[in-house]
Amino acid sequence: MIQSAAPPAPITPAARKRRLQFAGLILAELVLLAFLGFRYIQVVQVVDRVEVIGDQETTYYRNEIVADPLLIGLVLAGMALPFASNKLRREPALLFAVQFSIVSLILFVLWPMAQVFVESFRATRGATDFSLVQFERLLQIPTVARATRNTLALGITTAVLATGIGTLIAYALTLTDIPFKRWLTILTILPLVSPPFAVSFAFILLFGRRGLITYDLLKITTVDIYGPVGVVLVQLVSDAPLVILILSAVFASISRDLEEAAEDLGGRPFFILRTVTFPLVMPAILTAALLTFISSISDFGNPMLIGGGFQVLATQAFIQMVELFDLQLGAALALLLVIPALIAFAIQHWIVSRRSYVTVTSGARTGYVRSLPGWIKWPLFALTAFMALITILLYGSIFVGAFVKAWGFDFTFTTANLAGLVSAFPQLRNSMLVSIGSGIIGGLIGIMIAWLVTRQKFPGRQALDFSATVMYAIPGTVIGIGYILAFNAAPYFWTGTFSIIIIAYAFRRLPVGLRTGVAAQRQIDPSLEEASLDLGASRLRTFAKITFPLLNRAFFAGVIYIFIRSMTDLSAAVFLNAGRTQLYTVRMFRVMTTGTPSQAAAFAGLLIVIIVLSLAILSRLTGKSFVDLFRVS
Amino acid sequence: MNEFTTASITMKDLAKHFGAVKAVDQINLTVEEGTLVCLLGPSGCGKTTSLRMVAGFEEPTFGKIFIGQDDVTNTPPYARPTAMVFQSYALFPHMSVYDNIAYGLHARRTPKKDIEPAVMEVVHLMELKGQERKSPPHLSGGQQQRVALARALVIHPKVLLFDEPLSNLDALLRVRMRSEIRSIQRRLGITSLYVTHDQEEAFSIADLVAIMNKGKIVQVGTPRELYRAPADRFVAEFVGLSNIVPVRLLESNREGAAIEVFGQTIQSRRAPRNPNGEISIVLRPEALKLTTSSAHGVPVTVLTLAFTGPLARYNVRTQDGTLLMVDLHNPAPDEFFEEGRQVSLLLPESVPALLG
Repeated sequence: MIQSAAPPAPITPAARKRRLQFAGLILAELVLLAFLGFRYIQVVQVVDRVEVIGDQETTYYRNEIVADPLLIGLVLAGMALPFASNKLRREPALLFAVQFSIVSLILFVLWPMAQVFVESFRATRGATDFSLVQFERLLQIPTVARATRNTLALGITTAVLATGIGTLIAYALTLTDIPFKRWLTILTILPLVSPPFAVSFAFILLFGRRGLITYDLLKITTVDIYGPVGVVLVQLVSDAPLVILILSAVFASISRDLEEAAEDLGGRPFFILRTVTFPLVMPAILTAALLTFISSISDFGNPMLIGGGFQVLATQAFIQMVELFDLQLGAALALLLVIPALIAFAIQHWIVSRRSYVTVTSGARTGYVRSLPGWIKWPLFALTAFMALITILLYGSIFVGAFVKAWGFDFTFTTANLAGLVSAFPQLRNSMLVSIGSGIIGGLIGIMIAWLVTRQKFPGRQALDFSATVMYAIPGTVIGIGYILAFNAAPYFWTGTFSIIIIAYAFRRLPVGLRTGVAAQRQIDPSLEEASLDLGASRLRTFAKITFPLLNRAFFAGVIYIFIRSMTDLSAAVFLNAGRTQLYTVRMFRVMTTGTPSQAAAFAGLLIVIIVLSLAILSRLTGKSFVDLFRVS
Repeated sequence: MNEFTTASITMKDLAKHFGAVKAVDQINLTVEEGTLVCLLGPSGCGKTTSLRMVAGFEEPTFGKIFIGQDDVTNTPPYARPTAMVFQSYALFPHMSVYDNIAYGLHARRTPKKDIEPAVMEVVHLMELKGQERKSPPHLSGGQQQRVALARALVIHPKVLLFDEPLSNLDALLRVRMRSEIRSIQRRLGITSLYVTHDQEEAFSIADLVAIMNKGKIVQVGTPRELYRAPADRFVAEFVGLSNIVPVRLLESNREGAAIEVFGQTIQSRRAPRNPNGEISIVLRPEALKLTTSSAHGVPVTVLTLAFTGPLARYNVRTQDGTLLMVDLHNPAPDEFFEEGRQVSLLLPESVPALLG
């Protein structure tokens, strides 16, 4: 028995080692802070006043500090906060992981986003007082007011149509006995692999003023695809696959027993649909609708390419900022864009966080095929087959277009367009560099935060999870603007470098790495890590020998997902790249707007080939089928 | 494996609150050096949380944990001299049996040349010879259990912790493994804390059993003490089927008490703690007898009879409506009474203790 009066226990070697580690960590952090402070708190000499006495002119200088005191304060607070937790204090490795996550999220998520917010309430650059002048200007500029209305109308239209059509197709593909299901599944979700604006490009090839179908086959010259209808159609094709993925997973997991129980209790088919099936899938339908809404209003490439005069907030923000150099107005537009996106995200988060009814219990019979009457079955089949046909036409037109002399005029075979790709080698290299870099960084940070939020209990865990996920809802345009506002000026001068693009992409796609990591983490018995710790392995060793080896597939999957998303991004790229760091998608977009269609088709074709190859690697790595690969993102 | 140094475990006012829920509510318990103590209780009683606090996976809300003389309350799990056998075994699926067992030695930076002999020693001890190169998922449940124990033993912990280690095995294997665990624990003389919800398992393996309910330790004692003299109704019901019957106190002194139940007087070897409160006694089903030939029994009516082979289990009703369960072991032919029959119930002459 230990009596309370026992003499104080001698310090064990383990305790001494821990104290040493702790002291080492604090020392290393102080050194790092000193280095960063030296680098990013600059003292510049500015002319204070000039005195002229006779013909003697004396210039007085004074020292001024150039720095972001608020950011420094936030970073210091982010480093200090974890010390408050007793649990973190007793383990230096854990403490450091939490500090690292908090500080990186402050620097690269919260700070740039806060800049958008702050900047839009400034009258001019560097002004310190609050002003609503930007929003007054927004109301006065008619194109902006129209762009706001257009954005909301477009988002709602696309969300409703894509969700409706996507849900029907998902139902047809999972729960009915229509023919060619396997091929139809692949074809209907294939548009996910192409960069979104490649869809509008293909639409122009097919239905444009010299489109293969509209001009060459149907001889239509009076109507064209440019405008709001074109944008909606294109977004429908790009966003429906996401809905199909989400809902087919849910349809497939509905337990047959539930419906049979309802039938057994006397329910007729439509009554069951209304009272059992529909309530079960409703949360998923809402989720899909909100995600397509976010995707639609964030879209920059398609409205730019096929919108004609149809302006949305994403394109307006680009014009104000990059073409007219009006940072404040650009920020105000970005703020308008981010508000509906965040609302949709918050609702979606709330739906998902509530208890999910669709649970897969072992032994439950799921995903059985219903034999439906012909008048339901064949229209569903026709709809699905039509979407599949559009996919074939899209990819067909891009790959055929790349090998003909001049699309729309001269369809003779040539490989000349491929020669044009050679000149794009620097951009391709830049894109690869940036995408691999962001993939690795985003994958690593994602897996670390996933581990922290699923395995560790510490105060502020939810806030960490939310901050790491919120970027999912932020349009690329807004991210681009935020990073420029935050890091463009002294003391950073960071725009136009590769590192800012890499960091921006890594944190923009962090939610993908995080979700992949969390899903994988949940599959692993938590007592494995506990067993390792219990046997005396340190946190670091446990992570290196147990956690990471069991998670490495998820890690590589996360890397490749982020790689693909970064390779195909345009909306953040247009803000962040500069001459030396020009990215492939930006160059490709230029070619699409100024070059010949066949040259542009070669560019798009190459990008699609790269993506398909990455997916093939991913498929081998994870052992998942092509369709399953998309389920995480 | 004689060079084990072992140490006692002391939990002092240990508490763990999850929000408003007091999962562990200020418990005090000492596991003396070399003994095996079971934490026994229904699910959600706080026994696993207590064990995990000893291992270092949960941080106590307050209170202290000592291993030997060392206060380990703020020591991270990897620096504690404990080794745990997990309910799921937690064998690393990407390592062979050998690498699983050697893991803790590598983690402790044991010199390379010492690792193999140490591993092979526990491989022999746990009768795992020939399984070293196999991957854990290819082993049977019993073998996985052995590997988990071998992996814990090889690092020579001062304290062994068991978290429901047998709950994933089938009934026969469970009985065999628990006697194996017990004999190895005895042989090595290593202090052990063992969590289970199975009363039979706890009684057959432990030196001392601590019964937990709602975050508190209700009673600590040897299995015999707990069975014969449960401290309260909860313990009485948890450690075996019981008839708990309210009684009237006739007299009590320091030697014991006389009580009246069903109009009969019997003795208790212990006086009630609160002579003015409600008092009950525990009548174990196997301590009761039924007969037709006695005049001074309690008249009862047989309600049901269930014959399971070794015993005949009766549900009977007394004249005042109390329902009782009576077990007749190895029943003779004249000890079968059909339902509805009037028989006499013979009470024991004395009971070890009173409740209340």
